[in-house]
Amino acid sequence: MSEVKYIGGYPEHMRQSIEIVNRSRARRKDAVPAAMSAEQREETLQVHPDYAPGGKRELKIGPNKGDPVPVPVADLLESYPLIDETEIDLSVADHEVDVMIIGGGLAGTAAALLAQDQGVEREKILLINKLRHGDCNSIMAEGGTQAADRPIDPPDRHFLDTIGGGHYANKPEVVRALVEDAPLVMHWLEELGVVFDKRDNGDYVENWGGGTSARRMHSCRDYTGLEEFRVLRDEFRARRIPSIEHSPAIELTTDESGRVTGAVLYNLETGAYQVVSAKATVLATGGFGRLHIRGFPTTNHYGATADGLVLAYRAGAKLRDADTVQYHPTGAAYPVQIVGFLLTEKLRSAGAQPINKDGEAFVFPLEPRDVEASAIIRECYVRENGITTPSGLRGVWLDTPLIDAIHGEGYIDRAFPAMKRMYARFDIDITVDPVLIFPTLHYQNGGVETDPDGATNIEGLWVAGEVSGGIHGKNRLMGNSTLGTMVFGRRAGAAAAAYVKSADAGERTFRHVEQFVELLKGAGVDSSRRAPMLLPEYRGKASLARMIDVW
Amino acid sequence: MSESKTMMEKISESTRSLTTGVDTRDVEHWVTIYIMGRGYSVPADLTIMTAMEFAGYKLIRSCGCRQGFCGACATIFRREGQYKLESALACQTRVEDGMCLVQIPFSPAEAAYYDIAAESYDYSVFSKHYPEVARCVSCNTCTKACPQDLEVMDYIQSAIKGDFESLAEQSFDCIQCGLCALRCPAEIVQYNVGHLGRRMFGRYGSPEPEHLKTRLAEMERGEFSSVLDALVGASTEKLKELYAARVRESDE
Amino acid sequence: MTSEQTSTTRAAPDTGSPKRTRLPYYPGCTLKTTGKGLEDSALAVAETLGVELVELPRWNCCGVVTSLTDDDLMRHIAPIRNMVRVQEVSDAGLVDDKRVVTLCSMCFNALKWSNARIVGDAEDLKSLNDFMYLEEDYRGDAEVVHFLEILKELDPEAIAEQVKTPLGELNVAPYYGCTLLRPKSIGIDDPEDPTIQQELLEIMGATVIDNPYKTVCCGSYQTVQDKYAVAELTHGILSHARAAGAEAVTTFCPLCAFNLDNRQREVLEKHPDFEPMPVFYFTQLMAVAFGLNPKCCRFDLNHTDPRPLLRGKGLMKEGA
Ligand SMILES: Cc1cc2nc3c(=O)[nH]c(=O)nc-3n(C[C@H](O)[C@H](O)[C@H](O)COP(=O)(O)OP(=O)(O)OC[C@H]3O[C@@H](n4cnc5c(N)ncnc54)[C@H](O)[C@@H]3O)c2cc1C
Ligand code: SF4
Ligand code: SF4
Ligand code: FES
Repeated sequence: MSEVKYIGGYPEHMRQSIEIVNRSRARRKDAVPAAMSAEQREETLQVHPDYAPGGKRELKIGPNKGDPVPVPVADLLESYPLIDETEIDLSVADHEVDVMIIGGGLAGTAAALLAQDQGVEREKILLINKLRHGDCNSIMAEGGTQAADRPIDPPDRHFLDTIGGGHYANKPEVVRALVEDAPLVMHWLEELGVVFDKRDNGDYVENWGGGTSARRMHSCRDYTGLEEFRVLRDEFRARRIPSIEHSPAIELTTDESGRVTGAVLYNLETGAYQVVSAKATVLATGGFGRLHIRGFPTTNHYGATADGLVLAYRAGAKLRDADTVQYHPTGAAYPVQIVGFLLTEKLRSAGAQPINKDGEAFVFPLEPRDVEASAIIRECYVRENGITTPSGLRGVWLDTPLIDAIHGEGYIDRAFPAMKRMYARFDIDITVDPVLIFPTLHYQNGGVETDPDGATNIEGLWVAGEVSGGIHGKNRLMGNSTLGTMVFGRRAGAAAAAYVKSADAGERTFRHVEQFVELLKGAGVDSSRRAPMLLPEYRGKASLARMIDVW
Repeated sequence: MSESKTMMEKISESTRSLTTGVDTRDVEHWVTIYIMGRGYSVPADLTIMTAMEFAGYKLIRSCGCRQGFCGACATIFRREGQYKLESALACQTRVEDGMCLVQIPFSPAEAAYYDIAAESYDYSVFSKHYPEVARCVSCNTCTKACPQDLEVMDYIQSAIKGDFESLAEQSFDCIQCGLCALRCPAEIVQYNVGHLGRRMFGRYGSPEPEHLKTRLAEMERGEFSSVLDALVGASTEKLKELYAARVRESDE
Repeated sequence: MTSEQTSTTRAAPDTGSPKRTRLPYYPGCTLKTTGKGLEDSALAVAETLGVELVELPRWNCCGVVTSLTDDDLMRHIAPIRNMVRVQEVSDAGLVDDKRVVTLCSMCFNALKWSNARIVGDAEDLKSLNDFMYLEEDYRGDAEVVHFLEILKELDPEAIAEQVKTPLGELNVAPYYGCTLLRPKSIGIDDPEDPTIQQELLEIMGATVIDNPYKTVCCGSYQTVQDKYAVAELTHGILSHARAAGAEAVTTFCPLCAFNLDNRQREVLEKHPDFEPMPVFYFTQLMAVAFGLNPKCCRFDLNHTDPRPLLRGKGLMKEGA
């Protein structure tokens, strides 16, 4: 049982490279590499995980047959159900509600609150959570939320920034709803008691975000998502709206006409199933970072496994822009305990440069996210100028001490306290030594297509949040995601509430599942492939190999 | 082309233990930890969370964001030969040889039932909903337990004094892990008290900016409808043109 | 942040002492909430007299009634932690004295009693220091005093000099209650016949009405359990004061003030012929006598409005 020797948090061989970086700092301070030309960018992008061959395949069945999506997503969409229909008794509903919300992130929680505001009785709402109410991507958002609310920044500016950033693939009427509701969402959050960063005169502190033409980013320190989410959850709890935890939805039910009428839940602890009857269903299950597309680590929470996409696709919902994935250029690559964690873009805005093992800056620090990520991958795997960690990962340095060298001592302490705290837990002082970075899987750009109220092509099914597609086109701007979750969570909750006023509880069947299984068989899909995934598998190989099931 | 393919393979190879579970073959250094008293040999560079997974636990409780934001993974442990009961976030703490630990799957505590619009913005909101704050004996156990290194006792004292601004400031980074409340001899649920106070401060102590009110009024009057109508109806070519012509707000 | 004493700031009197004395000051929770009238008026008065009260950073609850138990060391953590704060500001040279000033008689009692008990027992002091290992060890040499004691130390002439509006016709009965006087070992005056308020009131020109009910318990926390029992005590204390000729009483304790003042509502329920009587914090009357801006008195927080009485005596301007 030997111990690894660490010096200031780093093992010896990494320390040697750090010394080189520390020595070249003064020279690099005013010599930032130039931004790339359009051709250089094009060439660099060849190593981007979205462009590098072998990452995607076309769907063989379902509403998006023929569309390419990342292979792990295709594998899940084209999977057999977890349950054997014959084992489930759908005739008895354990919960009979008007509005069921699946997934309690910002989107789902907002939907529940608005459903109640719009007249659905508290007991007739049910929020379903895979894990705890709060284990979600929403709680992790650091940077901020966009909303155009200053005289210089009319909503059409926000519209253009969003649609241009999304490469014009966005659905315009949905983007319109996003920008028009943004000030309303801010007002709503204010009334609920969210503590936003404000100036002495009471105005918001508003910052730049990548791709915005005005300062529009509202923040709550670097805990924006945490603050927004916990306030919505507290309000939800204060109103005593019913919810179920640790019981993911594993299948939807539909009636004769294909309308969604409820869901089957699975108690992760006891293994028992439950049946929910719902007149309207809002799907808000978030993203898919835990699929580790192309083997990348991720910024996402434990349960980000595309369950919502799987359930909705089986029920016949149409997807859009599901082919693009956002990789954040600066994920942590060392120590291994925090690999994949997000290191905010603001670090590079403040002057931190990506540096290779020889202490050289190799890329302009503020290229678009996909280009920056590609340049880092190329430095590590094509030019072989990366640093290898004890666990075998490669990465390059992000020269954080340069920030203090530029702005003066103490700047990091004030601007990046959360990050400083995170590294300090591993004995690394980011004001003295650089940190190792590598791109990380961050965001699901596309998803289930909706109208501006979150309605899908399936009756009885609304969708909101990261699981939806159309708002961001092929690429999401920072700050538009938390905004989108609340805009469309609210809209979907309200629309579902309006719908249930005249709707009856529908019949519950697995017809859509049976039909989908026929398609799977027809396409020759391997019957061992099962979905939804619910949770990724991280158990040690050795212990898995010895596991037996005796019950 | 084929080069980038192998490159992607190399990347997924290097992250395999992170994305699919640790393979013993990759491990050089080992430590022994005691999960609920039972010893397991685990790789030395894992967190408490990943070490439990390595040992064969499929985490359902006590695991959420995996990155120090959600507070699901509260863990208490003792180091070998130490009397102190320590607390930590399992996802943020490296295992140590001899560590004896248990995770807290859930911490029972009821949050207040209230309507923020109907509460009065003074200290009485605490005595109304969490009268037990008055029982604080200033033992500071909560502060010692907090994995976010917050001055928990101080924020409870701020609540007792009705000082909402200090309370919001001191408790802001709370991730509601529950550890403080489980250790408190006065049975105070600090994170709920903190949250009530922060919401009150957010609503009453730090009011909505004027420029937001102005924008809401403009929206109400439909001032931007026609320009947005035009954008929604515009061709991609037109949008590209408008996008290129945007003028960036000056940097002051 | 919102304390109103800033609006009452006057130039420090030219009393010959070039430098003001900086004393550590412990406010206590009530003074930050319902007892604002005591804190604001006392701070204004202290400033006028050239005494600088420096609020302790990070003070916590005094430990209050819990210090009345003596078998539970845990209960002494709160008061002793405050004494650590006193030691800190004193060591850091932020104050000139190791005596921490209290205003609330309840806090005074809790802190002083606990300090005496723990400092007097080396073993207990060590246990507490061990328990509070994140703090610096408390050496046990800080002391607790009440503001009245500080006032008494001042030159009566200097106080008299500040009196701009002698209280003249006002007939006041000082009320002490228990916590300033008992137990005897920590009390600031004779527990049977205290006179410390009387002496100061006389400097301010008031007509002091002495009566034996000045040391009768106000009912203390019984007020939570049985407000009518407390109302009976209030009725007794105030009726006797009235009978002796008093038009108002003074106190230094927010809890006494609450029981004597707010409980007059219940007194009236039971005794409809009872004539309500204003209850002053001692320092409110001092502020009036000094002619300070009445805002610092926070009379809006008093239950029985004392302003009509003050106006009637010509001690307060109409409309103020
Ligand atoms: C580290 C990080 C930083 C970010 N920073 C920003 C930022 O600065 N600004 C910004 O705008 N955006 C940011 N984002 C993106 C943004 O936070 C998310 O996209 C957004 O919050 C998603 O919200 P949601 O409600 O759709 O999904 P989530 O918040 O992920 O919630 C979905 C919930 O559904 C549950 N669920 C999943 N499957 C099931 C099932 N089968 N049954 C029941 N429940 C299920 C999940 O467990 C989860 O609780 C960031 C994301 C991450 C990960
Ligand atoms: S643990 Fe409880 S009693 Fe002790 S200081 Fe914290 S809140 Fe007060
Ligand atoms: S204050 Fe309490 S609940 Fe909040 S992070 Fe600290 S220990 Fe956890
Ligand atoms: S799992 Fe969320 S804080 Fe550890």
